[in-house]
Amino acid sequence: MNPFRAAIAVARKDLLSEWRTREMVPALAQFVVLALLIGNFGFQIDSRSAPSIAPGILWLALVFAGLIAFGRTFAAEREQSSLEAMLMTPASPVAIFAGKALAASALLILCEVVLLPALSLFFGTPFSAELVIAVLLATIGMASLGCLFAAVVARVRARELLLPLLVLPLWIPFIVAGGQAVQSAMGLPGSYDQAIGLLVDFDILFVVLTSLAARFVLDE
Amino acid sequence: MNRLEKAAAGAVALMLIAAAAIFFYAPTDYLQGPVQRIFYLHVSSAIAAFGCFAVVLAGGIVYLRNESPRADRYARAGALVGVVFTTVTLVMGMLWARNVWGAFWVWDARLTSTLVLLIIYAGYLLVRRLSEAGRQTARIAAVVGIFGFIDVPVVYFSVDWWATHHPGPVITSDALPPQMLATFLFTMLCTLVLAAVMVVIRYRIEMLMDMKQLIASGAPLTVAIPRRDPEPAQ
Repeated sequence: MNPFRAAIAVARKDLLSEWRTREMVPALAQFVVLALLIGNFGFQIDSRSAPSIAPGILWLALVFAGLIAFGRTFAAEREQSSLEAMLMTPASPVAIFAGKALAASALLILCEVVLLPALSLFFGTPFSAELVIAVLLATIGMASLGCLFAAVVARVRARELLLPLLVLPLWIPFIVAGGQAVQSAMGLPGSYDQAIGLLVDFDILFVVLTSLAARFVLDE
Repeated sequence: MNRLEKAAAGAVALMLIAAAAIFFYAPTDYLQGPVQRIFYLHVSSAIAAFGCFAVVLAGGIVYLRNESPRADRYARAGALVGVVFTTVTLVMGMLWARNVWGAFWVWDARLTSTLVLLIIYAGYLLVRRLSEAGRQTARIAAVVGIFGFIDVPVVYFSVDWWATHHPGPVITSDALPPQMLATFLFTMLCTLVLAAVMVVIRYRIEMLMDMKQLIASGAPLTVAIPRRDPEPAQ
């Protein structure tokens, strides 16, 4: 069985069930707008301070939206015990994992479609291609790690508690490099190219590592 | 005294000798004064923590390959001892920084990555506590331990990769006078012995806890308990 087709099929299944229920995307969109609202009250934001505060609010909102999105990645499988059935098909565990990660990152990207324009709208920060590229590159790596650890904790009792504990420290490289890239895209000092290079490096590293580890996490 | 008690007493004695060397043999630093003496244990416990996390990594890899319960117990023991030594490193570093930099904490690459290291392995220990012991948990923990180890080289090379406040490598760059170097190497040796003894003792505790669980689950005991001192045959 062609692993690419299997991965696409799994991703399609997840996105289709999301399309039918329309649970996650509206909830995530509402969540990020609320996060911006809280950021607005938590900081004293004016046109001078906005570029130095907005990147922080962006990453906080994105990280916690990601935790919500990845925490639900295996929810349907767990509730209906369908993961075992999926693993019994000839599709390799790595392909199933890749499909789940693809679908989860598509949901996160949809949430970014709301988050990034809302950020520029509310805080008056520039909305540029550099900003979008930095956030998308970070999403790839964050999605691969988030999906892996969502699978890791899927069968553990205290999964809501464990997922942030495990994933957040491993996301820090993406927040370090992505934060730097977003800051320089918003006009603060710092090298944009260097930060993007780091993001690409981390993406490659973690996509390879998570694909290698997926076999041990899913295979039961 | 059994073997482990003897080893523990020996390790404590070695640490006391190392303390004597740090305070009475090593010369006082010209610039920093007596606070520089923190360096010996600070760096040694960082290296010991790296060693412990390497045990977690190796235990995790071996466990994923052949599901050996011994490898998993070593990983558990290494994580706990490593967290202890990372905490020692951070606390001693903060005491030093308060005197030399004027602040307990700065958001510097090495300090931040070391804090992340502590959080990762504290998370590892939480995984073990929050999920029921067994094959599934051991596999999960192995994956966490393997991924967590990525941060160890980041901590080690952070002073080269980023501009940091933290002093660079003084050992490999030959910057220490011989008496300081000798004191450091001796302290490091003693700390590594202490860490190894702690890991072995923790391994024993983990084994006893595994046995307790086996007994509670009603498994046949004759297979579960390896006899350490077999009774002589009649």
